[in-house]
Amino acid sequence: MSDAVVIVTVMAAGALSGGFGAVLGIGGGAFLVPFLTLVVGLPFREAAGISLTTVIATSSAVAGTTAGQGLINLRLGMLLEVATAAGGLAGGLTAQMLPERVLQALFGGVTTLIAAIMLGQLRRSNVILDESIDPGRLGGRYYDEGRGRAVLYRVRRLPIAMVASFLAGNVSSLLGIGGGILKVPVLTAWCGVPIRAAAATSALMIGVTALAAAPIYYAHGEIAPHLGAAAVLGVLLGSRAGFRFSARAPAKWLKLALAVTLLLVSAVMFARLK
Amino acid sequence: VIPDQADAAAMRLERLLGRLLFAGVRLSAILLAGGLLLHITLGPRAAIAGALLNIGLICLMGTPLLRVVVSFAEYVRERDWFFVGTTLAVLVILAGTLVAAVMAR
Repeated sequence: MSDAVVIVTVMAAGALSGGFGAVLGIGGGAFLVPFLTLVVGLPFREAAGISLTTVIATSSAVAGTTAGQGLINLRLGMLLEVATAAGGLAGGLTAQMLPERVLQALFGGVTTLIAAIMLGQLRRSNVILDESIDPGRLGGRYYDEGRGRAVLYRVRRLPIAMVASFLAGNVSSLLGIGGGILKVPVLTAWCGVPIRAAAATSALMIGVTALAAAPIYYAHGEIAPHLGAAAVLGVLLGSRAGFRFSARAPAKWLKLALAVTLLLVSAVMFARLK
Repeated sequence: VIPDQADAAAMRLERLLGRLLFAGVRLSAILLAGGLLLHITLGPRAAIAGALLNIGLICLMGTPLLRVVVSFAEYVRERDWFFVGTTLAVLVILAGTLVAAVMAR
């Protein structure tokens, strides 16, 4: 492919992944990385590095937009960030030592897991409607539009949240995905955080998580600046469109279709190992 | 719900960080778009295109870093030592990233 064709292809791939990511609230890395390796033909680490830069862009754009609604739990975020950033740095360092095929196999495994999570997503609201209860130092309070009133929640089982954050950060920087898809289900199912607050807080954290690894990829020359730029611009445009669409998207069949796509992606990743 | 003082402070910080993140990502998008345009029109070897692209990427990566620095400063101002500690820990980890990156060159 010629230079300009590659740029346009990468930008289009970024726009599609960003759009899907915004609609599904999972970030687009799970789609962008396989596209860059399988279609554009980039080595795995270059695909992961480029994808990590788009994770940073998504984080800043999403957190910049949702800030002020009270959904982002800053205190919880700033605490869990210590774990995600540590995991991110560890992942960034080990990514440079692992052979490509191990990374590909890991990616196949994690996308299978993500598909399973999407298919069996736990629905739990976690909000406390009694306003006299103290949400605690790490808990939160926000205005729930669906209920038309303020709601609060307490954070439980903090050690589990810390461990999940470390692992999510680690996987994120090894594979170039956001990591929210791994962290948000844990926060909602086990730690008492409502899904909207968990997603908003995770969106804030993934930027710093990716930042703990992206410069390492960059310094190894694995982020080609023009392709990184194309992917970032594509993702920003795509996620903007995705958010507009997500308000009226029939999320159920879309989730199903994308979970199947992810399973196919992981199958291809495993098949290419030989 | 009447937010107490801590809530008000947290909300103010959240808005400030939101504006900062939004400005950072917008500035990097402009730099990256300009660099990409020059890269296509002038060719891959144009120094100005490469410079804009790299500055754009560094600006993109610098935005969440600046967010942590501003949070750290705010928690110091509020004398909220627990979160001074967590934000400082994140900054130490990111310094480790920088060291690893410099050593890779």
